[in-house]
Amino acid sequence: MRVVCVIPAFEEEATIGQIVEAASGHCDSVLVVDDCSGDRTGDVSRRAKAVVVRHILRLGAGGALSTGFKVALKTDCDVVVTMDGDGQHDPHEIPSLIDPILKDQADIVVGSRFLKERRDMPFDKRLGNRLLSEATSLAASMKITDSQSGFRAYRRKVLDYVMHRSMDYRWASEILIAAARADFRIKEVPITTIYVRNRRRGANIRDGLRILFSTARHERR
Amino acid sequence: MVASAVFGLGMALFTTRELLQKKIRSAQYVFWMSLWLGLILIGVVPQFYSAILLITSVLGMYTPIHFVTTFSILILFTVVYLLAKRVSELNEKIGLLVQRIAVQSIKGEADRLTEKEA
Repeated sequence: MRVVCVIPAFEEEATIGQIVEAASGHCDSVLVVDDCSGDRTGDVSRRAKAVVVRHILRLGAGGALSTGFKVALKTDCDVVVTMDGDGQHDPHEIPSLIDPILKDQADIVVGSRFLKERRDMPFDKRLGNRLLSEATSLAASMKITDSQSGFRAYRRKVLDYVMHRSMDYRWASEILIAAARADFRIKEVPITTIYVRNRRRGANIRDGLRILFSTARHERR
Repeated sequence: MVASAVFGLGMALFTTRELLQKKIRSAQYVFWMSLWLGLILIGVVPQFYSAILLITSVLGMYTPIHFVTTFSILILFTVVYLLAKRVSELNEKIGLLVQRIAVQSIKGEADRLTEKEA
């Protein structure tokens, strides 16, 4: 099976090179979606042998991912792996992430940060993730412990059928709910996450409320 | 009343010029012109002001300014709603455009991803 790794990145020049190099060892090709970074994210990624696609305006995590999916679907890939560009995910866990797809046990595999006991995640993030995962589980009618995880693997047919429209952080719940309703098999596997102290990027309270509101809208449908 | 008529006339001329220069659509022109004509009528035709007084009393408001203020706020809310909707639509279109440009710009480089389509 041919595996393409899609990494959305915004101003990640410090970490993206290492991530691309490590991911290349587990995937056939790596695609970095540079979401209009002001630094050398694109150059560093290219030097690490990634294919780089650049947005001329910043769209957000969801927009960068759907661009990556659109490019990946133009190739002959069978599996698309997504991961963050900030070094939060360990590329060496890609084999365990795609394993359920290779064994035909799942169509989407979500790397869950909550299947392992963890204490390093900031309290506000843990609380927010828990709340959003519960809301997503309710809308998807299945238990999902980490609906906001960006470390995932998709079988190609899922992306042919389901594509999120949200350009911001709502994509994470949106695509899971849509896939669950289309009867695709979703499985979670435990992953380790590296949290960098004092790094305040990622979804904030406003994003959380937007995700919650949009998930509630899905529930009513 | 004279001030409102002068202001209305000035804005009516400006709006007409905008239409002639194709900077606004005819639907927008009709909306704004009806507003400016209302202002002009208040100054030019005193009976029109009487009509406002009548509406004010029918609606049970104290003074015409209450009626004008309430009516203006309702119009502004409607305009804000329509503008927010339009901005959201444009935002979505810009997003799709940015993605299309990005996908097209890597045509050559994408061979490394074993592209199916040229």
